[in-house]
Amino acid sequence: MGNYRFHTPDGVSDTLPGDCLAKRGFETKLRGLFSSAGYQEIETPGIEYYDVYAAGNFVSQENLYKLADQEGRILALRYDGTVSAARLAATVFREVQPPLRLSYVGNMFRFRESGGGRQKEFTQAGVELLGVSSTEADAEVIALAISSALALGISDLQISLGQVEFFKGLMEEWGVPAEDAEEISREVDQKDQVALKKAADRLALRDDARETLLLLSSLYGTYEPLEILEKRVTGERARAALQNVREILGILEDYGYIRYVSVDFGMLRSLDYYTGMIFKGFTYEVGFPIISGGRYDQVVSAFGRDLSAVGFSLGINLAMIALRRQGREFPAAGADAIIGYSKEPNMRKAALSMADSLREEGLNVIVDCAGCGEEELETLADLRGIEQVIFLNASSCGCDTEEKI
Amino acid sequence: MNDMLTIALSKGRLAEQAIELLEASGYDCAAAKEKSRKLILEDAESGLRFILAKPADVPTYVEYGAADIGVVGKDTLLEESRQLYEVIDLGFGACRMCVCGPASLAGKLDGIPNKRVATKYPHIARSYFEGEKKESVEIIKLNGSVELAPLIGLSEVIVDIVESGRTLRENGLDVLEVIADISARLVVNRVSMKMKAQSILPMLDAIRVQLSANKTKEEEENDAV
Repeated sequence: MGNYRFHTPDGVSDTLPGDCLAKRGFETKLRGLFSSAGYQEIETPGIEYYDVYAAGNFVSQENLYKLADQEGRILALRYDGTVSAARLAATVFREVQPPLRLSYVGNMFRFRESGGGRQKEFTQAGVELLGVSSTEADAEVIALAISSALALGISDLQISLGQVEFFKGLMEEWGVPAEDAEEISREVDQKDQVALKKAADRLALRDDARETLLLLSSLYGTYEPLEILEKRVTGERARAALQNVREILGILEDYGYIRYVSVDFGMLRSLDYYTGMIFKGFTYEVGFPIISGGRYDQVVSAFGRDLSAVGFSLGINLAMIALRRQGREFPAAGADAIIGYSKEPNMRKAALSMADSLREEGLNVIVDCAGCGEEELETLADLRGIEQVIFLNASSCGCDTEEKI
Repeated sequence: MNDMLTIALSKGRLAEQAIELLEASGYDCAAAKEKSRKLILEDAESGLRFILAKPADVPTYVEYGAADIGVVGKDTLLEESRQLYEVIDLGFGACRMCVCGPASLAGKLDGIPNKRVATKYPHIARSYFEGEKKESVEIIKLNGSVELAPLIGLSEVIVDIVESGRTLRENGLDVLEVIADISARLVVNRVSMKMKAQSILPMLDAIRVQLSANKTKEEEENDAV
């Protein structure tokens, strides 16, 4: 026993002063950004009932950290911000007139996530816009995601915009059964042309449908994929989805953000969870998306309230890994000044009051509590990179300061 | 930004074939053909960096973004089930993933409850039996010479790749069920596909063109015979 006492568990880590300072700074920036756009921050518990996640089959149980309470009920560590916000929207906020704009910054726990910069415990910042199903709402959330990345200093940003409703429309039009559709969506998402050709054979798709299916994972660009698909697709549901993407792009032009956005109809995610546009944000030097978002109108209804929902989250840890690899440094901030004092009467009182007034000016000030003499204090200051050294003794009248510039 | 493309190759025959294909597609792979024990082979001029990895590790390198592109067998991809773009079937390294056992078991497989299955591919075996066939099995993970297991009573059947089937036959075993066709695939990291599209997409196109040219050539040769 006790063999692990020097270690942290797999997939979690300590955050040391430099990183911690930078991370808090980023969190503050994002909080400011969210609240300036009218989003109100909430903090949901780090532990939820397992049923909250089981309600809409949102999360596979293998991915949840589970424990039990004294009554034997199953609990789960918070997996994401969305499900908890949806629970709130359907319960505590049920009388509140929509739209609801909620934001969060918090740690999430995922049992099976790890590697390549991903951690089992990580910090996400995100928003939920509830009760508006308009294209403007879709675009507002994407724009806020882009602003968030820019606020952190990530300017090499690529947002991929997709639409699961478009895919669902195609499947409906071609009469593909739901379980096959889920399988095919994974193959499209993996750009696995081999499997898609087999699926097309198996389902005996018409030639034009087959071509469209294979095109999904190979179209790139901003407006080009739309133009190509608009000519090929006739079904009402799929066309409405294309129109939604075209309008989103138009609104993002107004935001001035269009240069960050490309369209990828081959990007697909859980068809049960997402109900409209989806997007991911990428940058250099990290192998996973730092931003993930979309429209998931059925999430709140799993809690008994019919309320549309769109949102995104940004992984702060991954973003910091990317920034560091792109050359950004996160130095720790030391103190600006250190004050020591002699053992003569009244010197301590003078030191404390001097520290107070310097702190009021905004400096970070350490009052020596190790009883250092003047020379020791200088050595310590050199070691820690503290610029200003002040030593008080009776001969300096308790007010003269020795400054080391 | 760093526009060098990092390509992870599965050490061995698959790496040689991948390099051959890339050369034929118009990419200078002189660095990769260097005879040395180096694990990273870089050619600044062509903008390509090759890393030679154990096949089972290639999907990991690519998923984590340590490599942008990888060439690896479908068997490894199925076993590792990583989040990747699996963009091209390269055609070489073809074989099949099969359930094999004594010929006497042919057609009787479903009748054995809680079969013991010996394999180097526990994930593939489990998802085939549990996912597709909806039956519970006991998986026994082995690291090689899997054919031994049914011969000495460690398991009823094995799940393994079958190329010519010679090893099987020599040991009195047969293919009982085919799980999947296997060949080498070109995989791409999901972020690289977006962030380095300018160098990756033309490479994919060049490879596709070369593959279909190879195919045409093959067909012509077959016609000639």
